[in-house]
Amino acid sequence: MVPGRQRPRLNNLNLQLNRGERVALLGASGAGKSTLLAVANGLIKPACGAVYWFGENASSGKRRQRQQARIGTLWQDLRLVEELSVQQSLNCGRLAVWPWPLVLLNLFMPLETNACAKVLSEVELDPDLLAVPVKQLSGGQRQRVALARLLRQGAELLLADEPLAQLDPPLAARLLELLLELGAAPRSLLLSLHRPDLVQGFDRVIGLRNGELLFDGNPKSLSAELINDLYAQN
Amino acid sequence: MQAKFAPVFGLLLPALVFLPLLVFLPFEIHGGGWGLIANFFGAALRPSLTPSLLASACSGIAITLAVALWSWLLSLVIGIGAGLLSAPTVSEAFWGCRWPADLLRRLLALPRSLHELLWGLILLQGLGLQPVVAVVAIAIPYGALVARVVSDQLESLPQAPFQALRVAGAPSPAALLTGLGPSLLPGVLSYGGYRLECALRSATLLGVFGLGGVGADLRLSLQSLQFHEAWTSLWALALVMFLLEQGIALLRRRWWQPGAVVGQRGRELLLLFVVLLLLLFPAAQLLDLQWQVLLGPWHWPMDQQIFQWQAWRLPWPQLVGSTLLLTVIAALAAFAAAPLLLLLFSPWALMQPLLRGLGLLARLLPPPLTALLLLFVLKPGLLPAALALAFHNAGILGRLFLEGLEAQDPRPEQALLAAGVSSRKALLMARFNGLAAGYLAYGAYRADVILRETVVVGLVGAGGLGVVLLEALSSFAWADVLPVLVVYALLTLFGEELATRYRSFLLHKHPQKEGGAPTRLQLLAKPMLERA
Repeated sequence: MVPGRQRPRLNNLNLQLNRGERVALLGASGAGKSTLLAVANGLIKPACGAVYWFGENASSGKRRQRQQARIGTLWQDLRLVEELSVQQSLNCGRLAVWPWPLVLLNLFMPLETNACAKVLSEVELDPDLLAVPVKQLSGGQRQRVALARLLRQGAELLLADEPLAQLDPPLAARLLELLLELGAAPRSLLLSLHRPDLVQGFDRVIGLRNGELLFDGNPKSLSAELINDLYAQN
Repeated sequence: MQAKFAPVFGLLLPALVFLPLLVFLPFEIHGGGWGLIANFFGAALRPSLTPSLLASACSGIAITLAVALWSWLLSLVIGIGAGLLSAPTVSEAFWGCRWPADLLRRLLALPRSLHELLWGLILLQGLGLQPVVAVVAIAIPYGALVARVVSDQLESLPQAPFQALRVAGAPSPAALLTGLGPSLLPGVLSYGGYRLECALRSATLLGVFGLGGVGADLRLSLQSLQFHEAWTSLWALALVMFLLEQGIALLRRRWWQPGAVVGQRGRELLLLFVVLLLLLFPAAQLLDLQWQVLLGPWHWPMDQQIFQWQAWRLPWPQLVGSTLLLTVIAALAAFAAAPLLLLLFSPWALMQPLLRGLGLLARLLPPPLTALLLLFVLKPGLLPAALALAFHNAGILGRLFLEGLEAQDPRPEQALLAAGVSSRKALLMARFNGLAAGYLAYGAYRADVILRETVVVGLVGAGGLGVVLLEALSSFAWADVLPVLVVYALLTLFGEELATRYRSFLLHKHPQKEGGAPTRLQLLAKPMLERA
């Protein structure tokens, strides 16, 4: 259960994500998808129950930070620091492991250009964008920069909260393809979606309703009846 | 690798000023007065509570408040009037040309260039020790400052609604009032509230220089080492300042709502206006304000020549150099203090209220008194003066910085925290970066204020133009006053121009996010944009 002011509560939820697995999270608005992702990345701590990251109990202090550094989140609202250049923004993925001198140096002399250019090309962006301020990018470019930041972080588990919600269909399809590609083994992917028709590329689908698990299985087993149940009003 | 400065870098760089300060500080310590410093802070817990002293502290505070209230209202009346008249839009609407506005703008630069203390000392020579001197001394530079902000804000507003009304045949005053007035009002109200806090600080400062009120009490108590008595006044002043700051913040939050329609808060505004008017009468009685003394006779020493060539032969490079050095050290230290302290201590929840308390003390203790305290342990010279100015201004800058920080979008910071980044690094990369441009822009304005304030710490032997000016003024040597006053005014006008250009450059490079109620930092950083 999550002590949230406006967040939906999660009840009686027992989930395990396996390495190399790409999982789609389905549910109506308010079903608890974002809450589940926020618990998974450690943004909120559950009021009861336990979270295990990579087989270890989610701890506190520096150890918790090290565990969290292995999890990368693609937020629905991206949450990039607008005032930074693309390269500085990508290097934000290294903040958890960089010592202070590197953090400060990066502010006036963006570091590790080659590594940044590499992750940028992995998300199909031109490395020429490295020096461009984030606030000058288009919506689609920003989304890819946010994704590249997770690669720069070296995240082993990718979490994505409705990443396709505000994209037109061709862009959404290409981004989904990219996410499935990047989320393949040795990484894992947990991605929340509104649309059940997009789950075919995933290894597993989880359905949430009112904070409870409605189903958990293979995308092929997702029937029209289950989908109706999932989006049915209380 | 390529050079690309993140805005936050400019926010951290000034902190380097602490390195030479730490190197030179041990050589400036004379070490005799650590006990006195300990006594001073120890006395904070045991202020004197004798009835006669409490009554005296209350009377001092009441006088300072009365001076602040009168000078503030007078400066608003002068400022809004002169601000409208010096706005090119208004000038063009009424007279069909903009040169009257441009001329007035240039003329207003002169009263703005002199610190209220200098106005106070000049008026004191001419009128004698009169309460009205303190009121007018604050109202003159404040009025000119408000005028500039009003005209700048008016010019930076979208002109389309005003033009549309004019084209539709509305007379100029009506079109101005309807087309630009509603957009101008929230900014003027918010800035006006901020000026009241400033007026309280200035009234306290003038008291230190003999113009009455709590400032005079504080100086006497500190000079006679009666720290328990000083803390009675300080606690009373702290309470008043805290209530004033909170009250203004409350009204600001209440009145400044995005999309609020004019008239929604009209009744409350009118009520406040009536209350203020009613307060003016007892305040005038308390001060025994005699406005007629302004009409003369003025006691200028007619037997003296005001212009003498030999008075202009001063060691200008040395005087200007030490004034600028004092300004630079104080401005950099004041600017860097809040971000640095927050970065160092933010993970400890207990530190935030402690820092806020320190900031309040810094704001309410006038710089000359901080300098006096520093003289207990430091040799007289530039360093105690710079530290005193830095401490006071760090309190003001720090409060705006914290306010701005709290208004920042928390989501980028949350994203970094969720990725395992430590709280200090997340604070630096997300919140500090978001705030840096606005804080730098306001810092430039503050540096300009500090340049004017260098005159108030002259008494601790800081050197520079301030000392020469105070000496010349107190010895009635008018021929010596003139050259220093002219150079000082030119220097502050040059500083203002430089600060304005830097702010415009910054704010064009990093436009501030729009939407919602702007923080005071955004508001204070924003005016004067149109000059770029």
